Amino acid sequence: MNIKVVIRNLFKHPFLNLVKILGLSLALTGIIFISLFLKNELTYDRLNPKTYQIYRLTLTDPDFLGGKHFARIVNAGYLPEIKERLPEVEQYVRLMPVRGGLLKYKERFYNVNQGFECDSTFFEVFEVELISGNKKTVLENPASMVISKSYAETIFGESNPVGEVLTLPAGQYYGEAQNFTVAGIMKDFPSNSHFHPDFITTPVQHEFQYGWSWTYLLLSNGANPENVTREISDFLTERAQVEPEEFETKVYLQKLTDIHLYSNKLREIEANGNIRNIYVLAIAAFILLVIAISNYANLNLGMSGFNAKYLFINKILGSNKVAVVNFFLIEGLLILLATLFLTTLISIPTNTLIFKFYGLKLAQKNLAFILFVVTVFSILSLILGMLPVLKSILTAKKINTSVNFGRGRISRGLIVFQYAFSIALIISVIVISRQTSHALKNGLGARENNIVIFESVHASLQQKFEIFKEELLKYNSIQHVSAMMEPPGGEANDMFPFEMEGFDTEQNEDQFNRIGVFPCDYSFADLFNLQFLSGNNFTASNIDNEGSGEYIINEAAMKRLNYHDPDEIIGKTFKLNFMMSETTGIEIPRGKIIGVVKDFHLSSIKKKVEPLVLFKRDKLWLLNFAVAFQPGMRTAALTDIETVWTSMFPEYPLQYEDVNVMYQKVYKAELLQARLLSVFTIIALFICSMGLFGLALIITQNRVKEIGIRKVNGARVSEILAILNKDFLKWVILAFLIACPAGYFAMDKWLENFAYKTGLSWWIFILAGVIALGIALLTVSLQSWKAATRNPVEALRYE
Amino acid sequence: MIQLKNIDKYYDAKFQRTFVLKGINLEIEQSEFVSIMGPSGAGKSTLLNIIGFLDEPNEGEYLFLGKPANKLKEKQKVQYHRSHIGFIFQAFHLIEEMTVYENIETPLVYRGVKSKERKAMVAEMLDKFNIVAKKDLFPSQLSGGQQQLVGIARAIVGSPKLLLADEPTGNLHSEQGEMIMKLLKKLNDDGMTIVQVTHSEQNAQYGNRIVRLMDGYINEENTN
Ligand SMILES: Nc1ncnc2c1ncn2[C@@H]1O[C@H](COP(=O)(O)OP(=O)(O)O)[C@@H](O)[C@H]1O
Ligand SMILES: [Mg+2]
Repeated sequence: MNIKVVIRNLFKHPFLNLVKILGLSLALTGIIFISLFLKNELTYDRLNPKTYQIYRLTLTDPDFLGGKHFARIVNAGYLPEIKERLPEVEQYVRLMPVRGGLLKYKERFYNVNQGFECDSTFFEVFEVELISGNKKTVLENPASMVISKSYAETIFGESNPVGEVLTLPAGQYYGEAQNFTVAGIMKDFPSNSHFHPDFITTPVQHEFQYGWSWTYLLLSNGANPENVTREISDFLTERAQVEPEEFETKVYLQKLTDIHLYSNKLREIEANGNIRNIYVLAIAAFILLVIAISNYANLNLGMSGFNAKYLFINKILGSNKVAVVNFFLIEGLLILLATLFLTTLISIPTNTLIFKFYGLKLAQKNLAFILFVVTVFSILSLILGMLPVLKSILTAKKINTSVNFGRGRISRGLIVFQYAFSIALIISVIVISRQTSHALKNGLGARENNIVIFESVHASLQQKFEIFKEELLKYNSIQHVSAMMEPPGGEANDMFPFEMEGFDTEQNEDQFNRIGVFPCDYSFADLFNLQFLSGNNFTASNIDNEGSGEYIINEAAMKRLNYHDPDEIIGKTFKLNFMMSETTGIEIPRGKIIGVVKDFHLSSIKKKVEPLVLFKRDKLWLLNFAVAFQPGMRTAALTDIETVWTSMFPEYPLQYEDVNVMYQKVYKAELLQARLLSVFTIIALFICSMGLFGLALIITQNRVKEIGIRKVNGARVSEILAILNKDFLKWVILAFLIACPAGYFAMDKWLENFAYKTGLSWWIFILAGVIALGIALLTVSLQSWKAATRNPVEALRYE
Repeated sequence: MIQLKNIDKYYDAKFQRTFVLKGINLEIEQSEFVSIMGPSGAGKSTLLNIIGFLDEPNEGEYLFLGKPANKLKEKQKVQYHRSHIGFIFQAFHLIEEMTVYENIETPLVYRGVKSKERKAMVAEMLDKFNIVAKKDLFPSQLSGGQQQLVGIARAIVGSPKLLLADEPTGNLHSEQGEMIMKLLKKLNDDGMTIVQVTHSEQNAQYGNRIVRLMDGYINEENTN
């Protein structure tokens, strides 16, 4: 019987109750997806039962590439020896990237997104389910390949790939073509893994080649990684045959499970996540929870006046407190039920959208977790949402018996608190959006929006760059064609020793004799619109011979070379050395510094721009092609590019990407954060405004009589509006005062991530305050206006 | 049945204490029909609320059925509301979200009467007050007189010993008022103790005793 009454009671205030339900549903949906996302982020690489025994080995050496910390190590031929020597090292596996990005099967090339040459021990370290093949034997032989299920489907469709031969075409770095035999199929790596290879394969030669490899160690159960680190260090010292004091290589072991969130090294296999993101999102979820529940509690408190009569009558009819609690409990449960229903309705399309845009199947296999989140939210909202009302009713000494039943009381504190959070969120959204758009705008070539990049083209195509360029430039849709070592957004990590006229290299240690290098084609500076502080671009006709080499340096390099005036450094003799010995290595001719360009951001603006020397070498190190088209001729240019490509390289898939898209990948985490935060802010503001709207409704309803009397006595509508709005404004202003320092502090911390930042201008805070105030004023005025313009006679008749 | 001894009721404002009731002494026997009269603001409702355990006196002693009220526990008071006391109000105070039937049924639910018996008891009331046809209507669909009938039906369905009526006819036309008064008279004749507050001398005459309240004092008491 009670339920029927509660339902009828709910329908008596459909708008206010809808506001409650909507607010809770939006918050719950937000919280569900944040928790799912956080769970995904926090459970990276945990499939393996031995996962906590796996460590990634990295090294730094001040004499090697400027002491930079790379995620992979070079020439790790000594690993078998380490395993022999150290009992704690149960197993190791090295993953070497397969370069070239293409595999050939039956005269067709297929793109490789990620592929590794690895030790035959791969499956002893990493846990992957094999669909076909035996883990123990599948990698036994050289050139045995295990491909992922989806890759198998791409190449072989329905047919069985086992036994088929895939060819890695000949290229600059790996001499001749190599054949691999598919020996097994593995399940695709889950999204929460820090790598997702299309295939892994044992090398063709039985021995592992020299080169870079990501290296993982499986330690024995209970082994102390610090001891192992020290032992490896000792081993390396001994091997280098130097005194321990002279040995400067540092050894690091990083937990497999820490890689995704805590590793920010160079040349990671894939872009990693960031623990800061996790904190930001967790806080956002918490804010959402707090706002939603406080809003709900406040509306309940405000509406409790509507129930006063019902409760009074029940008391005289002999109800006890249990009945009162029951009444509110049932009301709370019904609201909750509606909330859950609405949440389901919103969540299903949201989940689909997230999958579509981010490829994350968040809800999959997480039903229990979702239920857990929903249960916790339900309990919290039921208890915290109803507690203030119950408290105020149950502790009241005497139930109001006057005809004018009790007014709902509204907690000003809660409103101030909600608005403070909302304003802080608005501040964050503005700062983060500004910073990310600043970052995107400053990417190399991102401003022009007319550049496409062919990333890591195959070595045999690199050889034909000159012809490709010549052919393309025949079309008037094409502005420039260039090529370079690293793509926009990439890392220019390579450093060569150098000599410069007037720069005393002798007195400095070896590490100071190196400088960052960036091989590129003639038109690089033109294509990317680099600004010359002094000097000129490469001479188009110049063929670098000994003595006539041309070097362009960036501002940072100029400072590194101890110059301050770009005009002065122009014309100085300069040389890069890449000779390993008298005979091996690559000869880079002596020449002059011919230009100084303003620093440009090839990599993320989180990092400081490093000194960089631009030079060109024919057919060498030009791994990435760049094409700029005439403004407004995008479609024509792309057609022309396709024409040239298919006529020149018919077997190779045509693949290019906009520079802007590439930088969006670089700032993927920040962009996602900005987007999520915007969504949360909108939800939070929506909940707050709806709540404020409801409260304004309640308050004006309570003041109907007062307003009527004021009007009868001659108050104007504007005066009544002022009276009604004044209160609300005070709250929002107070909230603003609380939010500003909080927002400032949080965003100041966030911006520390970046080497180049937009800063926290005062207008951001004012804007956030004005937005919040505007929304609040609008919401409240809708109610006040109605109340103020009402016929006073009608209002007074209410009694 | 009811004994009020030296009852004071006051409200403390900032600097002064306002007495609503001052030194009230009143005794009401079983089966009496008492009318309380007095100007607006005299404290009539307050007195009635104290008698009905909806309010508490600041000073003085109140004995209900011989038991001191200030020693009653909350539970005991709820018990009295369930089985001993019925209320009728000027503004009817029906539960708007409930039908006529449900309104009358509610006190029985609180008393824990079984569903079957409840049905019979409510049906008897509907029959008695001739409102069977209205049982599924909501209060807002009834006239004032009909609403008050429901109010009375609800108040007496559990056969309380004491019926408290605060201006039961205040919102009604004189015809409807007369009908209600006759009904109360009949209930009194059947043995129910009734205390009513009224402004009308005419209605007061239905009772067998009038208590006049003036500025918190019992001014005059005469018996018919
Ligand atoms: N909560 C309260 N605080 C202060 N004064 C009150 C309160 N409730 C009632 N009163 C005062 O007590 C007096 C008696 O009220 P009431 O018993 O309702 O009068 P009556 O029913 O005789 O018209 C009135 O003057 C009223 O203003
Ligand atoms: Mg009164």
